[in-house]
Amino acid sequence: MSNAFDFPGGIHPPERKQRSNQATLIDAPLPGRVTLPLQQHSGQPATPCVAPGDTVKVGSVIAQREGMISSHLHASISGTVREVSTTQIIIDSDGQDEWNRLPSIDWQRAAPNALFERLNESGIVGLGGAGFPTHIKARVVERHTIHTLVINAAECEPYITADDLTLRHYASDVLEGAQIIAKLCGAQHIVIGIEDNKPEAIEALRQAIQKSQPITVELKVISTRYPSGGERQLIKRLLDLNVPSGGLPADVGVLCHNPGTLLAILHAVRDGQPLVSRVVTLTGEAISQPGNRWVRLGTSIKELLEQVGLDHTALHQVIQGGPMMGAPLLTLDTPVTKLTNCLIAATIVELPPAPVESPCIRCGECESVCPVSLLPQQLHWYARANDDAKMERYHLFDCIECGACSYVCPSHIPLVVDYREAKSRIRLQRIETAKAEYAKHRFEFRQARLAREEAEKQARKEARKSQQRRTPTSAVASSEKVDLRGLRIAHAAAKASVKKAEKTLARVAQEDPKQPLDDLEMQLATAQENLKAAESQLAQAKEQQAASAPSQSEESS
Amino acid sequence: MSMMHASGVNDAPLTTFVPPTASLMRWVIVATLPGIATMSYFFGLGVLSNILIAAVLGVALEAAVLRLRKRPIRVTLNDASALLTAILLGVSLPPASPWWLIGVGMIAAIVVGKQLYGGLGHNPFNPAMIGYALLLVSFPTYMTLWAPPQELLPEGLWAQITGTLPTAQLDGLSGATPLDAFKHKGEAVLASEFWATNPLPDGTLNAWRWVALAWLAGGILLLVKRIISWHIPVAMLGSVLLLATLFYLSDPSHFASPLFHLLTGATLFGAFFIATDPVSAATSRRGKLLYGAGIGALIIIIRTFGGYPDAVAFAVLLMNLCVPLLDLYSVPRPTGHLKSSRGEQP
Repeated sequence: MSNAFDFPGGIHPPERKQRSNQATLIDAPLPGRVTLPLQQHSGQPATPCVAPGDTVKVGSVIAQREGMISSHLHASISGTVREVSTTQIIIDSDGQDEWNRLPSIDWQRAAPNALFERLNESGIVGLGGAGFPTHIKARVVERHTIHTLVINAAECEPYITADDLTLRHYASDVLEGAQIIAKLCGAQHIVIGIEDNKPEAIEALRQAIQKSQPITVELKVISTRYPSGGERQLIKRLLDLNVPSGGLPADVGVLCHNPGTLLAILHAVRDGQPLVSRVVTLTGEAISQPGNRWVRLGTSIKELLEQVGLDHTALHQVIQGGPMMGAPLLTLDTPVTKLTNCLIAATIVELPPAPVESPCIRCGECESVCPVSLLPQQLHWYARANDDAKMERYHLFDCIECGACSYVCPSHIPLVVDYREAKSRIRLQRIETAKAEYAKHRFEFRQARLAREEAEKQARKEARKSQQRRTPTSAVASSEKVDLRGLRIAHAAAKASVKKAEKTLARVAQEDPKQPLDDLEMQLATAQENLKAAESQLAQAKEQQAASAPSQSEESS
Repeated sequence: MSMMHASGVNDAPLTTFVPPTASLMRWVIVATLPGIATMSYFFGLGVLSNILIAAVLGVALEAAVLRLRKRPIRVTLNDASALLTAILLGVSLPPASPWWLIGVGMIAAIVVGKQLYGGLGHNPFNPAMIGYALLLVSFPTYMTLWAPPQELLPEGLWAQITGTLPTAQLDGLSGATPLDAFKHKGEAVLASEFWATNPLPDGTLNAWRWVALAWLAGGILLLVKRIISWHIPVAMLGSVLLLATLFYLSDPSHFASPLFHLLTGATLFGAFFIATDPVSAATSRRGKLLYGAGIGALIIIIRTFGGYPDAVAFAVLLMNLCVPLLDLYSVPRPTGHLKSSRGEQP
């Protein structure tokens, strides 16, 4: 059970998982209407591709990804589009639940590109909470060598049992999803990290592991301690590898996935089923039938909780996510999204409001529980003094916002709230200082777009000309020398800069999911415009050469 | 992505499973009880009257300054930190000290040492030790005369109220503490000769040992209840023992034994109740170790070479001065960093 490797600090909050892990995983009733926000993932919101009045089936694409770090969105029920706004799409159900599935793929034989494309068109994002588009994460192999795929089943937050129940019911499917990802990223090892408070899931995995192939899967049961489910903390505990500060697990050859995401990947590949539903833990003392449900995305949280016996009078607050890192909902009129893993309908006795804050007495409890070995009390001091430079010096951006420090603080100081505010303030400042740079990038993008349009116009003109030319005489043809080699080099350079822009973007987006990405998306778009221009110039040059070559050969013969 | 987050509301709902600051302070007060009881047993009711006067003055002064600073009085007094300071200063003073002496000490501790810096959490120095050090420097006669054990003097208590010195205590030698007596034994006198003369009133050494052990018991309670961490007491006692042993081994006829250093004076009291004041101590674990070790070393150095028989107050205050530096140089290496940014200035 115990493990030689460990991360510093950590806490043991009350688990309270029994409330939701007793019942089996069942489907929630089909909603009569769904509200689908255009942004249910990190990066740019998707762009709607349907209009009010359109009929859709389950799985029809209703919004397309915008830019690189973004994700498609699909109808989660069949029916009629009722409303399309800048932030969301509302669909009314026809009660039929008709599906629009993609063809099944045999992943063991399929080419990687077909699988990447399937992940992209299925709109899969990380279901553990970060919401990072899976198709980008899967392409990690283009930039890094991965040796181990880690399945993060630690689920260390109190209350949440979604991964636990997913594994009890779908252990072998989750492992098959892991095999797909392992194939795509070239990992030779698959390791599952799970906390020892989930004996049924562990047993289910033990059974499933024996049949999982081609890569053997290793099951590592770790003792329960918050926050073992943090990506860096889990990698440290399972593999004794330190993910560098500001880096990614891929930097040490590791890729981390949540069981729910792996199951969604298998459903997309094997069954051609896009991401239209997810497992949500419904728990808390204010509902009478707690448990886990398969919920269609866009289902109203209010309706969902009422279906499981919400007692409005007993309800104090609904928390989305876990009690440590989640956030209270201001209104229940909000839909379940790809990121909703848990809803806690808590009574006031269960999760009372935090007592009034008192001064920090520098007791150092926060330091002893910090899983990253930061000095939370020093950060607190500088946060209250708005000393951002000092905060960065004390590694503010290494904070994983797990809330262990706030949890043990005897003065009830909401430390993590302070850190979050400081982080977003610093992010804004960075944008402010880089504004001139951004303007330059926007200008470059415009230039590149104009150049591309010009090149394409030129190409069309040439194409028309050469068609007219071909019929009468060939005499006038290209006396001008075509610099095919130069164009080929330019094309290759443009392609390389697109790759580079993609790499930077993917990296930044994963390192700090809350960092705005507009500027990097703009730079990528510029590179793409340049590539298109180079492509059309090259194509045009090739055509010219092809047109002139036969005529020359005719003359010479 | 974070559009779902309801900012502005309490963001970490699960927060109420930890004893709050006020209850931490109350536990420390509870842990002083064995020490107070033992001291009263050996040195008389003067110990309790000291504490009583200090507590009344301490709470009154804190309330008065909070009123002047327009801060909530009831909530702040409820954290019991003023009461704790009063107890710590009360037990440090000679039993049945004049009321004005206690008053001057409490003004220095609560008003100057704590509230003028911004109240709880903002004082760079240990308030009780500020008060104690001021009195020690300003009124050395009153501060170094301890009534001999087992003298429960009613007239002493009367003298406390009238603010004069009881006549019995004016007999300097009978009121000396063991550390004081050893300090002033004279260079030529060997340690063995000194002890052979039976320099202290009967039972004095024994009384101090029992008091020290009672403080140790209170300290262990604090450790067991996880009110304080082990770092500061262990580092401080460790460095006291190490240095005292080195001196003692180098010349046993001249220097006091390590056990003598440990069990007389305020060593154990200081290790568990004074140096562990979190507000004025270093914060990181590494910093706490350095801080404790520094106090221990200063205690031995001042006791051996300095002008004062006991040195806990000065050692603690001197190390309080070093805390910003210690904090700067003891930043731990965060996970994922190859080296720490110790001591770097922006």
